[in-house]
Parts: sequence; structure tokens; C-alpha cells
Amino acid sequence: NIIIIVIKRFAVIAKSQSITPESCEVRVYNEEVELEDRDPQQDYMLYKDTCADLAKLMAEIQELKSSGAKSVEIEERHRQCSVHFITLKKLNRLAHMRLKKGRDQTHEAKQRVDVLHLQLQNLLYEVMHLQKEISKCLEFKSQHEEIELVSEEEFFQEAPAEISRPHVTRDDNHQLTLARLDWELEQRKRLAEQYKMSLARKEKIQKAIEQKREYLSSLQPGLQNIMQASLPVQEYLSMPFEQMQKQAEVARHLPPPLYVLLVQAAAYGQACDKTLSVNISGDVDEAKALSRRPEDSQEDESDSDAEEEQQNTKRRRATVGVQLEDKRKAMLRRHPLSLCVDLKCKDGSVLHLFFYYLMNLNILTVKTKVSTATDLSGAVSAGELLNSESLLNCLYASDHGKETPNPANRYQFDKVGITTFADYVSDLGHPYVWVQKLGGLQFSSDGAQNVIFALSASHMEKTMKLLRGRLQARLALHKQFSSLEHSIIPVSSECQHLFPAKVVSGLTRWTMMSYQEFTHVLKAGLVCETDLFFMAVVERGTARLLAAVVLNPRYPEVMPLFSLSLHWKGERSGRTEDNLRAMESEVNVFRAELQGPRPGLQLLTNQIQRLCVCLDVYLETESQVCDGSEGPREFPREKMCLRTARGPSRLKPFKYNHPQGFFSHR
Amino acid sequence: MGPVELLHMSVFSQSFSPCGRFLAAGNNYGEIAVFSLSAALSPDASEASQKPILNFTAHDGPVFSLLSTDTHLLSAGNGEISAWSWAELIKKSTKAAWTRKPSYETSLEIPEINAMIINPKDNSLIVGGGDNNIHIMDMETGIFKSVLKGHTDYIHCLCFKEREEEILSGGEDGAVRIWDARTNRPVHCIEVFKYEECARPQFGKWISCLATDSDWMLCGGGPSLSLWHLRSMSPTSVFPLPGCQREAVFYQDLIMSVGEGPHVSHCLHGGTVKAQIPCTPSSLNTLALNLKNSEHRVMTVGGSSHQIDVFTNFSYRAFSLSF
Repeated sequence: NIIIIVIKRFAVIAKSQSITPESCEVRVYNEEVELEDRDPQQDYMLYKDTCADLAKLMAEIQELKSSGAKSVEIEERHRQCSVHFITLKKLNRLAHMRLKKGRDQTHEAKQRVDVLHLQLQNLLYEVMHLQKEISKCLEFKSQHEEIELVSEEEFFQEAPAEISRPHVTRDDNHQLTLARLDWELEQRKRLAEQYKMSLARKEKIQKAIEQKREYLSSLQPGLQNIMQASLPVQEYLSMPFEQMQKQAEVARHLPPPLYVLLVQAAAYGQACDKTLSVNISGDVDEAKALSRRPEDSQEDESDSDAEEEQQNTKRRRATVGVQLEDKRKAMLRRHPLSLCVDLKCKDGSVLHLFFYYLMNLNILTVKTKVSTATDLSGAVSAGELLNSESLLNCLYASDHGKETPNPANRYQFDKVGITTFADYVSDLGHPYVWVQKLGGLQFSSDGAQNVIFALSASHMEKTMKLLRGRLQARLALHKQFSSLEHSIIPVSSECQHLFPAKVVSGLTRWTMMSYQEFTHVLKAGLVCETDLFFMAVVERGTARLLAAVVLNPRYPEVMPLFSLSLHWKGERSGRTEDNLRAMESEVNVFRAELQGPRPGLQLLTNQIQRLCVCLDVYLETESQVCDGSEGPREFPREKMCLRTARGPSRLKPFKYNHPQGFFSHR
Repeated sequence: MGPVELLHMSVFSQSFSPCGRFLAAGNNYGEIAVFSLSAALSPDASEASQKPILNFTAHDGPVFSLLSTDTHLLSAGNGEISAWSWAELIKKSTKAAWTRKPSYETSLEIPEINAMIINPKDNSLIVGGGDNNIHIMDMETGIFKSVLKGHTDYIHCLCFKEREEEILSGGEDGAVRIWDARTNRPVHCIEVFKYEECARPQFGKWISCLATDSDWMLCGGGPSLSLWHLRSMSPTSVFPLPGCQREAVFYQDLIMSVGEGPHVSHCLHGGTVKAQIPCTPSSLNTLALNLKNSEHRVMTVGGSSHQIDVFTNFSYRAFSLSF
């Protein structure tokens, strides 16, 4: 078995080996040379035969051994086996040698291939490198391409022959380009020369202008002197050119609404009303400064707002209030220029109106002042009449001037925490609606604001008339009040026919009242806070009649209302007794009779006189008891009445008939 | 009519239309306003339905008396009586059917007419007013057929007793006179102020309201409101109401009266004041009950205000109509 294994191992080896040939003629035995002559296939067959013989011999040996044969035969066979072994060994060697040879040949070939491969790589690399270089060269942009050159046709036309060299350049692009560059250089040099020359000329001209300017400004003082000298001449001829020019000059800096107002008021004054005059007052320089940078100031505001907000978060509470106050002040800023309109009346009193423009709120406000020719005697109750705060209240119905008429201002106020504009009105002036209209400002509900000339013109006449009427009514009232306070009812001669000759009841007191005291007396609806309230006391004997009077600011367009209460043998009032109510009606309702001659400024005093007459009638017709015990009457009947009672409510006759002089019922 | 005029308006007279759906009211400016009760009482009534459907100036002076016949509204102004067809008024036409004047003796001042009543027996109109006399006019012919003289001062109120055909009149002179309508002769004269239980000398003696119900008579004014039994000619109960009463009516078993003071007084025959219902005007001149129409059974009162209070339940004011 062991032998079989050895043989099989040899077989494997032999299969894979090539055998080296034997060597050349020299005594050296070179098996390798022998190898080249032998055929591997033959060797393989030989090996197979040898193996088969060996196997056969082994089998025979074994047979012999088992059958107990002689050792000579066995030894023969052993010798034959050994020979076969030697053959096998040779074959093995040959196989090894063939293998080695093969390997060497392969190795050599491989080496050759490697060398070539390396060369190939080198060449490829060089190729790539060269290609890169080429592309770089191709991409190269020379600066000369950035220079704008004139087109070729122009070039050939304009350039002189030495530069253009057409015989060369027409064929050769390179030369053409060079030539064009040369031409470009030439041209540029020439133009640079021209530029320098022009600069020099400009300098010279500039100097000349400066000189002339200086000359002109030196003339200015001379002109001023001439103007000054001409002033007396202007006055003499009453053509105040300079004044008007100055005003026009300043007027250029007025904000648009004030400008509209100025133009319209001046026009109205010239055309219809010689007693109206308009002036501009205020700081012109500040106005100029404002008009110079209107956009800047707006941007500044928004920027500073943003900055302030950032700073606010870092600072503590106390300074926030101060900043808010500053913001408020900035929002309520007035334009530095203002208009002053003076309305002169026949009696010498003047109504001064000062108009201001609030820039950020875009509204106009007005402040008033009254100056009179004579010093007004101090009537205590008349304190409110000419008060500049309330003088122009309700010039048009329900125009109180306490809130801003511009709806957009509401949002602005919210930003700076102003709740009511009324707090600032005494400082800044009243923003009446008629003032806005005179300045051509119209605020529609959707916020569109335009400065409209036509609006101002259409309102000017009516407003001026109302203003004048208001002043005169107030002045008349002032005079009447000082008389009333002395218990004299001033009745003019034109109104004497309204009253009987003898009036016994007399006014004993005339004082002012406050709104709170009045509210219980008359139902609301006819009375509001802006009205003026007074108390009149009329007395006769033991009877006292208290009359609470409410005077609407629009007197005499609106009638004063009287509310009566009588203190005589108990207390009765117009609320409880029909006759007192009839007296109230007699005084409150009949405007046409009581207003007297135009403009109706006697209304209040006539009403008070009529009240006295009615009290006379009331007291004289009041019978104390029914027939039977009748004591002496306190008030003997003096007034002539046809009947003392009439109708279901037994009213007294309060209507006076002129000239017959008797009293009847309405 | 401005707010001041409205403030000084007084309503003096009222009358319901024959169908009971409209109310006419007269004021001191001589205007008559017609209100639609059905509109004002309907569930979807608004502020506009409390305004008159028609308002016009009927007379120069105040309209102290209004009276409705079956077809016409009679109104009394300064010494004249006008008739308006209800059908025309509802259609908003303000043309008077006729205007007649009783003949007056005085010429200086035209006397007012304070009260008008109808005598259904002979279809005549009885008016009394400022000239101290009662005039009787025949409705068909329009002729003033008789004058009843007797009062010494102007006549406030008139009343008619159907069964006996008697006219009762109360006047400023404090007397209640009873006249026979057939013969036009005075029958009785009661001077109420002479009776101690009724008299109120601090006020005066005039009689401004009269009402009768079979044998009973209500009268009041300067003297207290009192209930009289006519057969015995004596006061049975005196009502302790503070002001002077201007109109009183019998209604079922109650007596309702209005006058000075902003309330309607409900009284019982025994002499107790059951309730005083507050109203808008500070004193009242007229009270009217709409008994012709069961749907619109309301009581309306008017006085020294431009508003007329409407009571659907007689115990409280429901809403007000306004001129």
C-alpha cells in the first residue's frame, strides 16, 4: 500500500512537469539540452507504461511472496522495479526541468511586455500634457482683445498707409491686428491732447464767471439803498409794492393751506371788505430750513424712532415717559409761520385771528383776540363772552373745535399716547371745521386730503360775515350785560312798542350759572355743555321770579331759552303750573316779534322785558280767594285785560296788543 | 315745528274715529293730528307709527274741543266750528266739510269754544264757550236755533242726560246749571262751592269737569271732585285729589279723572282713591276712552306736553304718541 501511494504521488508530479533534455557532446551531461529533444507526450506515455509495469511487477512480487516463491525471482523483480523507479525519477526530473523552463520563458516575456507597457504609459502621459498645454495656449486672452478697436472698414478708410499697410495686413490677420492696435494708440494720444486743452479752457471760463458774480453782488447794497429811499414815495402814492413783495417773498415759504388762506383772504379783502387785513408773522429762516429738507426730516424721524425703540428696551421706565413726551411734542409741532387776519368793525373794535398750521397733523388751528376801541367795563357775568377760548365756539352749528377734524390723526395719536386733542387746544388753537375749509383742506371719510382753492373761496364770504356777526353780537351782549347787572333793562326805541308804558316788575339780579346747576332745570336735548347759562331774578313786592337762561353760542341765530320758577305764596314752576308754562312760551317762542331791528341783537333784552311784563300780568290777575273774605290785594289790577281766564287751563292774558294797550290771549 | 315749539305744546282735546282705529288730537297751536291706533298698537310698531299720519293747522286759535259723529270730526277753534269727514281725513285730505260760527254779541275778543256735545234725540250740536252762553245748532240745517243764557262767566264743560233729555253745564262762575233740552229752559242751578264738603276756597270756585251716569253726576274744578246724587241734589262722596280736575269719566265701576298733576286717578264710588297712574305730561287736560272698538280698547290722555300717553291696560302707561 505504501508503495502504491508513493507511485501515485510520483504520477501526479510527473504529469505536471516537463523534463529537461540531456546536455551536449562535451563530457558534461546536460540534461537540459536533452529535454528540448524529448516530447512531453512521449514522456507521459512512458511514465504511464512504467507505472503500469511497476504495478505489474508489484503484483507479481506479491504473488510470489504470498505463494512463497524463491527470492531470486523476487530479487529480479526487485531489480526491475528499481530500474523502473529510476526511470520514474528521471521523468520527474525532466518534468521539473520543463516546468522551470516554462516559467523562465514566461517571466522573460512578461518583462518585455512590462517595459513596453511602461513606455506606452510615458507616451500617453506626455500626450496628455501636451494637450493641456495646447488648450492653455488656445485659451490665452491677450489684453489686446479688450481694447475696442474701430471696425476694419473704418480702419482701412481712416488710417494712414504707413500704419495700415494693406498689402501686408489684408492677408495676414496677425499683422492686421497689430496695425489696428497701432492706429488705436495713435488716436488715443491725439484725443488725450485735446482733452487737456479743453480742461484748460474751462478753467479760464470759470474764473471769468466768478468775476462777474462778484461784480453783481457788489451791486446788491446799492439796490437796497434805492429801495429804502423809495419807501416814502410808495407810501405817498399808496402803492405798497415793497410790502407786498416782501409778503409775497415770505408767502413762498408758507405751507399750502396757509398759502391758500392768505391768497383767498387777501382777495376777499380787496374785493369785498376793505376792513379785512392779512399779515404773515413768524420765523422765516426756520421755515426756509424746513422747506429745504422735507424728506430728510421724515427719514430722520423714522430712523430716530427705530433707534429710540432699541434704546428704550435697554433703558429704564422713567426715560420712556420723557421720550413719549418728546414724540408728542414733535407730532404737535407748528409751522414757524402763521397768518394774522384782522377784522375791523365800525365801532373800532377789532377781531384778531391767528391761524397756525400743524405740520404733522395737517390741520389748521385758530386763536383769537379781541381789542376794543373803548375799555370794556367789567361786567362780571360777561366774563365768558369774549373769552378767546370760547369766542368762536359753534360758529357753524355743532363745530366745537375740540377734536381734530382729520380722521388720520387718530392713528397718529394712538402711537404717541394722546387720548384727546382737547387737552392741547388751549395751547395750539382750535381746529374748527371752517378753518380747515378756509385753508382748502377737506377731509373725506376715506382719508383723501387735497388742498382745494375753490373750497376756500366758497366759504370765505360766509365765514367772514359770521365772524363779524359773532363779534358784534358778543360786544352787544357785553354792553347789555353790564347794564343788566345794574338792574337796568336796555330797551331801544325801536322796540318800545312791544311793551306797555308802565312796567312795575323789575330785574334785580343778573348772574352767571354753571352747567351742573342748570341740568335739572331743563330737559337735555335743547341744552349742551358749550352753552352759556345765566340766572335772572325779577321781583315785584313779595313775589320773586327766578329765570334760568341758556344762551347758545350762536346767539342771536338761536334764541335764548328761559325756564321759570316763581316764589310767591309757595313755589311754582313752569313744570308744575300751566300759567308759568304759558309765560315761558310767551318769552321763548315768538322770535319774530322779539328780535327787534336787524341784526337782532336786542333779542335777549326784549325777552327779559317781556318777562317783567308777564309777571305783572300774572300777579295782578291772580285772585287770592274766591268771593267772600277778600283781604287787601297785594297787586292792584292796573293792566287792561278783557278776560283774566280763558280755556280749559284758565290761562292768563299775556299777549300785549299795541297801540290799544290791552292784554289778550293767544 | 322746532324743538322749542314742541316744548311749549299742549294737547287740549281728543276724539276717536267712529271705527275706533284712529285718534284725532287738537293742540294749542290750532293743529289737529290724526294718529293710526292700529299701526301704533300692532306688534311691529316702530317709532314712526307713534307719529301722526296727518298733521294740519285747522284753526287760528287753540283747538279746545273735538267731537266725533258717525261720519265727521267736529273741531272747535276761535269762535268757529269746523267739520271734517273722517273718510277724507284718513285719506289725508284736509278740506273742511263746513265751518260755522255761532252769533256772538261781543266784538272785541272772539270767544273760544270749550265744550261740544251732541243731542242724539233731535240731532243737534250743543256748544258752550267764552261768551257765557250755550248755543244749540241743528246738525242737518246748520242753523243755530237757540241760545241758553244764565252763566255769569265762561262755560268750561257740557254734559247730556239722555233719559231726561237734560243738558248740564259747568262754568267759571262755579255753578252747575241743568237745562231741559226740549224746552230750553233752566231747571236747576247748583253752586258747588257753597257746599262745605266740596269747597276749596284756596283754589277757586270754577267747575271744569262734568260727567253723568243715570242718576249720578261727577263735578270738579276749583272745588274737589265730588259725586252727586241728582235726585237729592247732594254730594254723596268727595274725592281727596290734590289738584284741580279737568276731565272725569265713569268707566264700569270706576271713576277716572285727570287734571293738575302728572297722573290719572282711579277712584271708587265710595270716595276712595284707588290708584294714581303716572303720565308724561306734567298736567293733563283730556282723557278719552276708545270703547267703540274692542280690538283697540285703549285710554289716551293729553296735557301740557306734545306727547299723548296711551294706556292699553288702564293700570300703566304703555307708550306715547307724539305730535
